[in-house]
Amino acid sequence: MSETIGSPTTTTTTSAEIILRIKDLHTYFYTDIGISKALNGVTFDIPSRKVLGIVGESGCGKSVTALSCMRLLPRSAKIPKGEITFFRHKKNGNGSAAPVEEVDLLKLDTMGQEIRSIRGAELAMIFQEPMSSLNPSYTIGDQIGEAIILHQNVDKAEAENRTIKILDQVGMSNPKAMVKRFPHELSGGMRQRAMIAMGLSCNPSVLFADEPTTALDVTTEAQILDLMRDLQAQLGMTIVFITHNLGVVAQMCDSVAVMYLGRIVEQASIEPIFYNPKHPYTKALLNSIPHAGSREHKRLLPIRGVVPDPYSSIKGCPFHPRCNSFMPGKCDVNVPATVTVDNGHTVRCFLYSDEVEQ
Amino acid sequence: MSNIVTPIPLVPVVDEPVSEVGQLSQWTLMRLRFARNKLAMTGLIGLLIMYFLVFLGPFVAPNEYTFQNSDYIFGNPSQFTLTSPDGQFGLFMYSTTTVLDQNSFKFVVTTDKTKALPVRFFTKGDPITVLGFIQTDIHLFEVDTPQRIYLMGADSIGRDMFARTLIGGQISMTIGLIGVALSLLFGSVLGTISGYFMGLADDIIQRIIEVISSFPSIPLWAALAASLPPVSESFSALNRYFLITIVLSVIGWTGLARQLRAKVMAYRSADFCMAALSAGGSDARIIFVHMIPNAASHIIVSAALSIPGMILGETALSFLGLGILPPMVSWGALLKDSQQVSVVVQHPWILIPGAAVIITVLFFSFLGDGLRDAVDPYSI
Amino acid sequence: MFSYIMRRLGYMVITMVIISVLGYIIIELPPGSYVDAEISRLRQQGGNLAPEQIAALYQRYGLDKPEYVRFGLWVSGFVRGDFGQSFQYSMPVSDLIFGRLGLTLLFSFLSLILSWGIAIFVGVYSATHRYTVSDYVITILQFVGLAVPNFLLALVLMVFAQNVFKMQVGGLFSAEYVNAPFSVGKFLDLLNHMWIPIIVIGASNTAWLSRVMRANLLDVLNMQYVQTARAKGLKESVVTWKHAFRNAVHPLIMVLGGSLPGIISGETIVAIVLNLPTTGPLYFNALLQKDMYLAGAFLIFLALALLIGNLGADILLAWVDPRIRYE
Repeated sequence: MSETIGSPTTTTTTSAEIILRIKDLHTYFYTDIGISKALNGVTFDIPSRKVLGIVGESGCGKSVTALSCMRLLPRSAKIPKGEITFFRHKKNGNGSAAPVEEVDLLKLDTMGQEIRSIRGAELAMIFQEPMSSLNPSYTIGDQIGEAIILHQNVDKAEAENRTIKILDQVGMSNPKAMVKRFPHELSGGMRQRAMIAMGLSCNPSVLFADEPTTALDVTTEAQILDLMRDLQAQLGMTIVFITHNLGVVAQMCDSVAVMYLGRIVEQASIEPIFYNPKHPYTKALLNSIPHAGSREHKRLLPIRGVVPDPYSSIKGCPFHPRCNSFMPGKCDVNVPATVTVDNGHTVRCFLYSDEVEQ
Repeated sequence: MSNIVTPIPLVPVVDEPVSEVGQLSQWTLMRLRFARNKLAMTGLIGLLIMYFLVFLGPFVAPNEYTFQNSDYIFGNPSQFTLTSPDGQFGLFMYSTTTVLDQNSFKFVVTTDKTKALPVRFFTKGDPITVLGFIQTDIHLFEVDTPQRIYLMGADSIGRDMFARTLIGGQISMTIGLIGVALSLLFGSVLGTISGYFMGLADDIIQRIIEVISSFPSIPLWAALAASLPPVSESFSALNRYFLITIVLSVIGWTGLARQLRAKVMAYRSADFCMAALSAGGSDARIIFVHMIPNAASHIIVSAALSIPGMILGETALSFLGLGILPPMVSWGALLKDSQQVSVVVQHPWILIPGAAVIITVLFFSFLGDGLRDAVDPYSI
Repeated sequence: MFSYIMRRLGYMVITMVIISVLGYIIIELPPGSYVDAEISRLRQQGGNLAPEQIAALYQRYGLDKPEYVRFGLWVSGFVRGDFGQSFQYSMPVSDLIFGRLGLTLLFSFLSLILSWGIAIFVGVYSATHRYTVSDYVITILQFVGLAVPNFLLALVLMVFAQNVFKMQVGGLFSAEYVNAPFSVGKFLDLLNHMWIPIIVIGASNTAWLSRVMRANLLDVLNMQYVQTARAKGLKESVVTWKHAFRNAVHPLIMVLGGSLPGIISGETIVAIVLNLPTTGPLYFNALLQKDMYLAGAFLIFLALALLIGNLGADILLAWVDPRIRYE
């Protein structure tokens, strides 16, 4: 059976379906210096067939979230609490939708057969630096083909065919020649296309993209973002787009989750986030971007202070030392719970509710 | 609408908390990092103790190292006990007697466990000269003559292996240092010239290094050492010692020269050297004031790491009879007596100088590794 | 690739020329000559030679000609395969050398393979099992392995083998097999005698190489492409060997050439201790006897072996690392 890569699934899934549910996820890193609490209760749902953006400053835990889902954390990391559930949508032999299977990702052995068959085939991840993310000793044909052979059980010749097809789909010129090239022979943009091809090669349900355009120049970045948008529309894939760049978020995402110090502080669809931000951090992030074309000469407002040391613990809401709406006695005592303020718009802030996190 | 930009009023910046982290110099940081490394400190302290013991050798050893005791040929190490046969507490040594074995016609040393002699500290023994000028006959520990303490047994003519190992240590533990110092000198100079001036000088020096590196070390050392005249009146053992260090450093300098050349070539195009050049600095100034201090930490590490190689080289040469020759003693020369397996099987204590070599090299390895780790993040 | 090899061969020839000059100078350094040594030996025994006899001896051994002429004659003989006469044995040097040289190379080669094999596995194991007990034990063994002089290890192993296993060690064959025709028994006896040299010669190389392997693999395991490989769903062993190891091994191949001198020089000294019929014992004897053509030829051949070994290592590196090929 020859499966064309990326034929959109003809199921009757609605846009309200969830493909990955993360509940109260805690991820800690145990080092010589101390315990770094990278994730402190991350809860959010990833809607199927849409682009979710995860936004935040460096060190807030965006990558760690994705790595936790993929179970790719280093040995020094442990997940003491939390749940990650993958809703597997399969197709029956006759093409109709099979019942959704719930897979508890945290129960799987990190090196075991089950998670390895999920990685690459159902959950895929692409990384920031394409030069260092590709093995310099093997051709890109080899590296992409490797995933195909592993998950789709075909021989080398067929894998090469599919590789050429997917390279074509990601916009590589002359894919037949590209297959034989080594990473160091490609430009930055081409390498990132190759990485995207590798991620998509087995038709995954979810693609985690960890800052895929941060290392690229602006024009290449624009091309890659266009490509990813097109592919997402074509294949009906879910993309989790991790970035610190709000401009990119505006272009790419259907909904956004804002992270600070290991917690989601605000989550909403794209328009409310930009036009009606609730959390002081989100507001501050938006204020710190220069706006092209604004007539007044407004001062850029950086967020005061710096991201705190991950080994320290802050009492109360972790953002309060830097918050302009800090309420003494409240914000420095308890951590606010996540509440819904609008349709699909959640926020964690005592400005909107007095509920406290357990 | 006016095109004049109105000046933006300055908003007072909230004071950032002043950093409480102090400022330490690069060398202090390296020293502290080194001190944290337990293995490296073990090496350092171990070496200091060994150098101390070795240079106070004549005092520490109960016997003078050239004293031949025909009663104790290949005698075994002395045995000690904490209680004497008549029930007293203290440190005692069992006395020994030498008997002629009727079957093999060899003298065999047997330990008599009924007789024990008390070990005395700071008492008189053979007359010795310590550190070259202190004449005394007081030793660290002794028993009453005619019995003698042989901590590590005796060799084929009854000489105390412990004493000989200590004295041999004086040679073995210093030859490495001097050899490395020479290699350092040679290697730094040539490496820097090669890297700084490049061109023809670089080509020639690189070819020389390549050629020398193509020779296997021990055969080359052997050939050079074989060309040294034998020890005689006109050519003392001390002269030979110094020439051996030169022989050892003939190969040793190439490694450092290569590394320094790479560093110097990198520095040449570094901003700080360009700045110095454009400020009018002379070549000598650039090299000595800017490049060498930055490379200093690397040079020190390289030196420390080459010492084991020198010690092993001298040991091998002396073992073959091409290195240190009598009357001078080194660990390798002591091991020369152990070339016959039958001798070693019957009298394994002959190999103890080898243990001394291993321990010294281990300590130097710890030291060198520790230095390398300490220097790592602080070197350019 | 071909042009790369040609270039390196060209450099090799130049280096060989310099080596032969240097080798000759080194061998000629000892004052006096073989004839002088023989004469003084004779005199010590009470005999003496008339001046004409001495002059005749000098002429016979060609020692009356000036240095550079002798060098020229010697070198010109190389092309014909004539490396001069050995004074001690009155035989052509080539007859004496080649058998022994072959054996030296055999032992060195086998040691190299063994030490590399062990070092790679030990290095990869300790890198992937960091901070475990076995890792610490391995580290200790590595340090000790570097500190023990190889001849000492040979002696200790010999004593051990004789005492514990009651094996006859030393030499290539036991007494009963030396002149016997080839048989399975003789072959096994040969293996029995070979394991000590092969282990001992490569011991310090193994220790040092496994540390380098461990360090390199640790560096590579931190690279992003290892994470990418895992993200594709590959088995950990595939990630370690196919992806990480392949890149960690480059620096090792670069130092492959550098480890050869140590192996060859180790072989010469271990051969003396173990009384093997290889280069070592004959070379040292020749040095002490000032049998200069023999010693010189040995030295130069050892250096040549090293040059060829280095060339092989460079070719291997170019084959493994696609980036170097396009230089």
